[in-house]
Amino acid sequence: MNNFGVIEVASTATKTTPGWAYVPDTGPSLSATALQPKNRKRAARNTQPGLSLSDLTARQENKLRKDLEALNRDNQRDVSIPVPSSSRSSQKHTPTVRKILQSQKTFANHLDDYQALLALAESNPAAVVNNPLLFLNKPVVATPQAKSASPAPVREKGGSKRGQAAAKRAAVKAAAAAAAEEEEEEEEERKRARQLAAEGEDVEMIDSPAAPPDEVEKLVETYPADGTILPAYRKRPPAAHPGDDDPLLVSVVPSFPTDEELRSLMTAPPLSYMDSRASFGEEGERYPIRVFCEMCGYWGRVKCMKCGVRVCGLDCLEGHKEECVTRYGL
Amino acid sequence: MAPGRKLKSAGPAPPSSTLVLDNGADTIKAGFVTVDDDTSDKAPRVIPNCIARDRHNKTYVGAELEKCKDFGEITFRRPVEKGFIVNWEAQKEIWDRAFFDDKAPQRCDPSTTRLVLAEQPNSLPALQTHCDQIVFEEYGFSSYYRGIGPSFNAYQDIQAIFHTPRTPDTIIDVPAEVILLIDSGYSHTTVTPILQGRPLHTAIRRLDVGGKLLTNHLTRLLSVRHFDMRNETYIVNEMKEAACYVSLDFKGDLDKTWKGTRGERRKDYATGGGIAKDYVLPDSHTRFHGIVRDHEPGAAARARKSAVSTEDILTLRNERFSVPELLFNPTDIGLRQPGLADLVMQSLWVLPVGLWPGLLANIVVVGGNAKFVNFIQRLQVELLERVPDECVVRVARPEDPIVSTWLGAANFARHEHADRLAVTKQEYEEHGAAWVARKFALGLGVDTLR
Repeated sequence: MNNFGVIEVASTATKTTPGWAYVPDTGPSLSATALQPKNRKRAARNTQPGLSLSDLTARQENKLRKDLEALNRDNQRDVSIPVPSSSRSSQKHTPTVRKILQSQKTFANHLDDYQALLALAESNPAAVVNNPLLFLNKPVVATPQAKSASPAPVREKGGSKRGQAAAKRAAVKAAAAAAAEEEEEEEEERKRARQLAAEGEDVEMIDSPAAPPDEVEKLVETYPADGTILPAYRKRPPAAHPGDDDPLLVSVVPSFPTDEELRSLMTAPPLSYMDSRASFGEEGERYPIRVFCEMCGYWGRVKCMKCGVRVCGLDCLEGHKEECVTRYGL
Repeated sequence: MAPGRKLKSAGPAPPSSTLVLDNGADTIKAGFVTVDDDTSDKAPRVIPNCIARDRHNKTYVGAELEKCKDFGEITFRRPVEKGFIVNWEAQKEIWDRAFFDDKAPQRCDPSTTRLVLAEQPNSLPALQTHCDQIVFEEYGFSSYYRGIGPSFNAYQDIQAIFHTPRTPDTIIDVPAEVILLIDSGYSHTTVTPILQGRPLHTAIRRLDVGGKLLTNHLTRLLSVRHFDMRNETYIVNEMKEAACYVSLDFKGDLDKTWKGTRGERRKDYATGGGIAKDYVLPDSHTRFHGIVRDHEPGAAARARKSAVSTEDILTLRNERFSVPELLFNPTDIGLRQPGLADLVMQSLWVLPVGLWPGLLANIVVVGGNAKFVNFIQRLQVELLERVPDECVVRVARPEDPIVSTWLGAANFARHEHADRLAVTKQEYEEHGAAWVARKFALGLGVDTLR
């Protein structure tokens, strides 16, 4: 069937689900636009690194996106299986629980909500200062009460007021999170973040300061003198070998991270869902994308001239042509 | 009466029994741990975490799926999406039938029980809050800890998994000093470096390839090449588990399974080349599960021709290894994410180089995908290509990678860390859900090691 030269362009509207959210368009979002290059002009000249198939047309990209969506489904077709009623269902619930149980939101809805909240915090920090959902992923400087069985040494006693002030400052900036680093560096970074936020750009995620410098000193003191976080190897070294002194056999042992470094790594708050997703960095894939025969799965060495699908040889091409003709006409 | 209305039901002493729950997207792993080890469960009960409906419109909830014989055209509703509990209506029904109903097989009284729940890293705050609220307000557990699943694995005897030679008097580190944990489950694959039981959050990375995606990909391949299997997710999943393997020589294996150009008779293709397998599909009358057989040339054609054919045979060739290959090369289906070995490297690059040797020498793979033949060998080979020569790379998987997280969590429940981290119902009522979530996010901290 000929679709009259109309090529379907990838649309971003994907879901029809209860509940809605404002999703601001701030740069490339991972969920929908990950597969779409921003600029389709002169694709041949400035091929995206890694996208060795510079022949990805809008149609192919759309197909790819739909394919991936289909691969993430639980069932092939849409089914709604009602929960069989049980004896306990007549029970009373608290209002919060009732709300949660009745919510029909999917994960995608929740993710959109969260992204919207983050964006709102960026543009209008005052509106979300007291929203607990935003700050769960942030470090807490002072807990309201010492709950741990073993007393955490310094943070509790001096921390409360200063800590709260710091938390508030961080809240206003509404950045997400990163490892607590050295004080001065942080101060600078925070300034930079403020500037960036003013310009409405992506804000790097910065912590509220872990503890003022005098407290850090005390913290260090509370450690046993030899007590590094990862204790040294205490057992006897292996027996001497005649080749031990051979300069050719000397291996380089990287210096071990300091306690400070380790502590900041171990207390860093969790990343957000989007940030923890692995992706190719700026430089893109290191190797060209492998292509396979649509029909049999061998290397895709030949391209169908009509639709650009890869096949391995004439046999598979003929099989593919049948399908291709029904879809795109002669 | 809703248990949530009770006031101060939790006593000061920690409850003697702990319900350890690894609530996966595909199966729940559940069991009880008590103070004296004799009565605690040695292994968890594995419950399918779904509400299923077969073609006769009969509905099965959770463990009832065992009673189902005919898995043709079965459809599932899963409360867990992307590893996180999203639909509490369905999840509550499954939990109720497993733990809280009068006839439940693992019945417990929440008001005298502690709950240790494993969740996936990098969850959304809203979902975490929902979880806490349900646990306390609906069920009223007396004490509760929600921690990320991968870090529970550190509470196992890790060196036993690696078969590290050691003297009998060696003290077992619990939690293990340093491990790099790869959790490859139903929804996704995560890499988590863990020091002393504390996950290094900045280095946790996720690849959106999991068992579900692999099964769906196999379904698509089979539907193009053989029969339409699109409604037979369950059967295809069994096929994947039985027949798929990770190739150590992808190029070579692909060549062996190629039928050749037109008119060419390739010997490897005709004989199967040691790769092709026949899979006998279940017929829903006498056979309810498929069978893998060595490839017998012509068997499928003969079965098709004979009028009284008793079995449907499907010959699996490159489907066997090109499906798990997606874990190592997600770009093969256009998913623009690095493969598993690159994922590990991305995680390591965030950390100081001084930690690399320790992490690389202690890589543990858990989750259902770890059961693929050659999975850990392939990962080891690919990592060796990427890391400095001096580094020792050891990759291992526990005996049963699916229940590994539960076993770790059970050990955690016995450890004093559990007392330090758990939140009681009273505290929840006093400080609210936001405080609880913050406390869980904070984790153990470093100031009091061990």
